[in-house]
Amino acid sequence: MRPWWSKIEHAFGRRRRLASELEQEMDAHLQFLIDENLERGMSPEQAQAAARRDFGNRTVVQAGSYQAWQFPRFESLLQDIHYALRGIAKAPAFSLLVILTLAVGIGANTAIFSFVNAVLLRPLPYPSADRLAILWSGLGYSSRAPFSSFEVFHLRQRSTQFDQIAGIWVTNGALPGDGPAEQIKVAKVTSNFLPLLCPRPAFGRLFGPDDDLENAPSNIVLTHGVWARRFGSDSSIIGRTVRFGNRRATVVGILPASFRLIFPDDASVPSNVEVFESIPVGPWEPDGPSFLHVIGQLRGGATLANAQTEMNSAAAQINKLGGRASVGHFSVSAFPLQADTVREVRPTLLFLFAGVATVLLIGCFNIANLLMARAQRRLRETTIRAALGATRARLARQFLTESLLLGILGSVAALATGYAAIHAILAARPPSLANFDHVPLDARVLAFTLAIALGISILFGLAPVFSVRRINLTRDLRESNRQSTVSRKPWTSVMVSAEVALAFVLLTSTGLLMRTFINILHVDPGFQASNVFTFRVSVPGYAPLRLIQQKLAAFPGIQSASTVSHLPLDDAGNWYDYYYREGASPAEQTSVMADHRSTLPGYFSAIGASLLEGRDFTDTDDAQHPHVAIIDDVLAHQLWPGQSAIGRKINLSDSPQGFYQFQRDWAAIVGVVHHVQYHSLTAIVRPQIYVPYPLAPRPSMSFVLRTAGSDSGLAAAVRNAVDAVNKDIPVTNVEPMQRLVDRAHAESRFASLLATLLSVIALVLATSGIYGVLSYSVARRTTEIGIRMAIGAPRAQVLHMILTDAFAWILPGLLAGVVLCLAVTPMLAHLLYGVQSTDLANYTLTFVGVLMVSALAAIIPARRAMKIDPLTALRYE
Amino acid sequence: MLQGTLEVLILRSLRPEPNHAYGISLFLKQQSDSEFLVDNGSLYPALQRLLQRKWIAGQWKTSPNGRRARYYSLTPTGRKELLRATSKWQRFAVAMAKILAPEG
Repeated sequence: MRPWWSKIEHAFGRRRRLASELEQEMDAHLQFLIDENLERGMSPEQAQAAARRDFGNRTVVQAGSYQAWQFPRFESLLQDIHYALRGIAKAPAFSLLVILTLAVGIGANTAIFSFVNAVLLRPLPYPSADRLAILWSGLGYSSRAPFSSFEVFHLRQRSTQFDQIAGIWVTNGALPGDGPAEQIKVAKVTSNFLPLLCPRPAFGRLFGPDDDLENAPSNIVLTHGVWARRFGSDSSIIGRTVRFGNRRATVVGILPASFRLIFPDDASVPSNVEVFESIPVGPWEPDGPSFLHVIGQLRGGATLANAQTEMNSAAAQINKLGGRASVGHFSVSAFPLQADTVREVRPTLLFLFAGVATVLLIGCFNIANLLMARAQRRLRETTIRAALGATRARLARQFLTESLLLGILGSVAALATGYAAIHAILAARPPSLANFDHVPLDARVLAFTLAIALGISILFGLAPVFSVRRINLTRDLRESNRQSTVSRKPWTSVMVSAEVALAFVLLTSTGLLMRTFINILHVDPGFQASNVFTFRVSVPGYAPLRLIQQKLAAFPGIQSASTVSHLPLDDAGNWYDYYYREGASPAEQTSVMADHRSTLPGYFSAIGASLLEGRDFTDTDDAQHPHVAIIDDVLAHQLWPGQSAIGRKINLSDSPQGFYQFQRDWAAIVGVVHHVQYHSLTAIVRPQIYVPYPLAPRPSMSFVLRTAGSDSGLAAAVRNAVDAVNKDIPVTNVEPMQRLVDRAHAESRFASLLATLLSVIALVLATSGIYGVLSYSVARRTTEIGIRMAIGAPRAQVLHMILTDAFAWILPGLLAGVVLCLAVTPMLAHLLYGVQSTDLANYTLTFVGVLMVSALAAIIPARRAMKIDPLTALRYE
Repeated sequence: MLQGTLEVLILRSLRPEPNHAYGISLFLKQQSDSEFLVDNGSLYPALQRLLQRKWIAGQWKTSPNGRRARYYSLTPTGRKELLRATSKWQRFAVAMAKILAPEG
């Protein structure tokens, strides 16, 4: 195989050989004619002249034959590429600018589209993912609540549209097996849950109907991760009984490494569950707690709409069965699991997608302007080639080759940029994207990138061709090298205006997102995170828990130490239920839901929540004394508006008999605290009720340690305190409370950070567009400006003239931007907090900002025009 | 002349024996009773196209009057192409005649 250049050599060599052969052939032809003429009796001179006349124009013969030789397309394609490469190399600044613009514009699109593809377009990695639905129960104020076991049982009984209805509840538990104790997430699932999400286990089996029996043995299924980490990927673990917290369980199966738990962010089903345990479902407790998050698999051919209708009638029937649902407003809503999962992140992704598309559009306008200017500069070359006989198709093909080549180089650079951007975004992704850790550059993304790159290349490659169409040989040859006076290219000014408008829209949106982020940073979460450290621990009961608290409180670096069942802003494994006041009507009894929190005394001062009224718990608030509770101001206002809640009776569910042995109970309210943001910083999801730990014991609790600021020695102090109870009790790492606050900021930080990045790019591109077009226009008008100055125009007037020109593009662009913003930004409402999309300050600031930056871009070429020396300018040609 | 006609005529002229460019133009002139006067600016490119398609082959030989000339001959593909084109042109000519024939 010869190298490619030798092919070109060969092609040209062949052409030389063919040409010389044609010469000889024509000579021979002439000789025949001469011979004949001589036979007719002409003189040698006459014979020669007559033969030449008869033969005709040798050049025409040559040209025609050369065209025939061009036939092998490959050869002429190589030639086109050769020319195109030369064209690109001859204008390195231009080419680099185009490639860079494409790399940034298309690269950003590739990256964001990869996320759109991975998150919104690709089905969830489950068998028959399109048939999976998530069910939410509605009761009272909440429409996205979990179900009780009783409700799931009766839904199953009445469902024909769903093949399977399965439930999951995630809680904190101990890492199974021997070795250091550790806290992990454990999911309790109905036996049909895992088979819906996982076609087959890596080893062993998933849960089956036997696991649903009431006296079923304690079986667990492990994720691939925990199996590798804790059991060294030993497959003989299947069937063995291992330690699991304070009991034993049999490992029956290992999930494949590819298994992912992908649920809506507000379902309290985090993806880091490591152990699955079976939980039976039955009609035992009509008043039982609602805790199961439920998915259903539609029967083949069933539609979600039919399933919803069926669920509505099932809910109505369940209402009649008694229990908490009987008051008549229990409802069930079914959504596609995929759509519901991405519900929160969808607006952010779509906004970013629109943002990168805007950046690309601005980049395209810049490239179009660059190519137009270049075509204009090459008009003379094009004209000469047309005059020498190049057909329009031939010229078009060559321009197209050149822009396609630029497009290909640009898209290669774009893929590299996009790849890097995907990884940067993955590293900074917010919790709503946490479940999507695999964002590949798959065939669809590659097709998307290539389609954009080729579309742009063809579109812009054709632009100069259209200018070829209008070629007027005599005029163009005469004029093309001269500095013509202002050539008003309407397209150029429209494109600059459009760039300004688009940049304005993007900047305004970014301004709104930044304001949102700042507002979120300033939200009072109801607690003070600074200097607070937390850890989670599994403790068998009140006495050891109290002992750990006392040990920790004695540590010199710790100012106060207490414990709570759920930390603020940590929604995982949340627990909530219905609460009502004394004398509430049956309908009112299920209208107020509140988060249920179990605490030890001192929690409020440790976390920094303010007690508004009454007192904190004391050591005597236990089952033997009158039952008490503390509520937050939101709940107090809901149950006793305008009155003091202290001393009132509230009906709640507690479990003084032991873990999860719930019963309804009456408690007296002894304190009211300020509401704490437990779920998000921007919404009050539910009020809270606090119950002393002896009335609501939990196997797993979070400690809250308020320190002087340093965590040095804290880990050792924690381990020391826990060891005093039992060396085998698992503890999670000591972490600052600030981490959870940061996590709550992450969503808004992510959106505003990327939006800012895109805005900066958009502004740079738009500014360089203004600068480029204006510089080009000044360069073309050098002579005109020279003449103006020579006949006495003051420099200030020249400056004024150029700036007037620039603002004739910029101002309409800004106004168009305002109009566009008024139409577009209301769609951002979903992403905003504490700021209106029509915020006047934001508009004003953006308007002035864009105006000033554009003016800056215009002033540089305008000053250059002002400094033109008339003498030089007039001699310029 | 219609597109592609010249190529067919050249192929036809080479059917009896190989010939050079000048000979081909003479043949066409004589056979058509001077109706077709083929311009060298068309003949040579047509020959080149036929060479490219490998329907004819060129070879330098000495003519009866002692001059060296490039003689073209039909290749097997060229012969097949001529057969195909001849029948096509005959059908075309009949169809044209039918349509153009005076009515009645």
